[in-house]
Amino acid sequence: MTFSLKDEDHTLGNALRYMIMKNPEVDYCGYSIPHPSEAKMNIRVQTTDRTSAIEVMDKGLQDLIDLCTVVVDAFKAEVSNGDFEYDEDAVWP
Amino acid sequence: MDLSGAPYGSLGTLSGPSITIQELKKDRISFILTETDLSVANSLRRVMIAEVPTIAIDMVEIETNTTVLADEFIAHRLGMIPIDSTDVERIKYTRDCTCSQYCSECSVELTLHVKCTEDRTKIVTSKDLVSNNPQFQPVVEDKNDQGILIVKLRKGHELKLKCIAKKGVAKEHAKWSPVSGVAFEYDPYNKLRHTHYWIEEDAGKEWPVSGNAKLEAEPNPDAPFDYNAKPDRFYIETETVGSLKPEDVVSMGMKTLLDKLGYVQMQLKEELASHQQDQTGWSY
Repeated sequence: MTFSLKDEDHTLGNALRYMIMKNPEVDYCGYSIPHPSEAKMNIRVQTTDRTSAIEVMDKGLQDLIDLCTVVVDAFKAEVSNGDFEYDEDAVWP
Repeated sequence: MDLSGAPYGSLGTLSGPSITIQELKKDRISFILTETDLSVANSLRRVMIAEVPTIAIDMVEIETNTTVLADEFIAHRLGMIPIDSTDVERIKYTRDCTCSQYCSECSVELTLHVKCTEDRTKIVTSKDLVSNNPQFQPVVEDKNDQGILIVKLRKGHELKLKCIAKKGVAKEHAKWSPVSGVAFEYDPYNKLRHTHYWIEEDAGKEWPVSGNAKLEAEPNPDAPFDYNAKPDRFYIETETVGSLKPEDVVSMGMKTLLDKLGYVQMQLKEELASHQQDQTGWSY
């Protein structure tokens, strides 16, 4: 089954492809941008008989959301932790 | 679930992605993102460059321009001036606003009026722009910053105009980008052999290793090539233009990515519900 996402590009496509592909119930997942001047991204999913492409898509999205949340939390924790070189006024160089 | 870069069911660290900040300055942040896939790290990079919203001048109404520069030339220069976008979340996109053209909910008005009456050359800078909203001012780096030069005036030259600054993303125009550059590197020793040029005769001699190589163990040159290895340590350094704090660029970038995902997930559910209603079902 192919999903066509409007206004999306490699930013979402590649990460989502990776996340869906990680699911062991998925036989194949790939994405393409048919034409560079058309803001459209197609993502194709083929699954085993035990599940459906829609379910897998939903799980892929949810997994990626969870992963991003982990990254956000890790980043916030690291910023508040403050264990790094910090200089408010310094402008490079 | 397993969020690490490792494949399903594999043994190893299942701690999920983690971040180590190495340096945080007024206009730059440098951090290491680990235990995640290249695609996710690249999404973060792409989203920081092109999809973090900021405020930038989008429309210019010129009343008087007797300077040496053409109207459209000045309008272009004005667009590139970074505007403090710390409170960008309070401003709506003009397309989402209820107003017919623009209003204070979805735009910021900046005016400029400079006339040269002396014999000396007068410079017009971003500091001459007067904003109607004190939260959104042209960026001033520090007290020594004289502002960004817009045009130089000779005696008798005058420039009077009104700018409408709007919220936008760099996908539409690069002037909305909060960053001037994002450095992105993985595998500084090129163990994975992702980079290779046909012009190379001895890559080791021709390419100096980057600063990030200090943070990784030097590989044994006789070690066999591990063709199953995947990158999982990403060195990212972001330099801002001053409109947003570097740490905010990263967190807003991740937030934008989450919003996109949430939106697609919602659309998928809606699509599914509307298809189930008309009983015809799908054939797939």
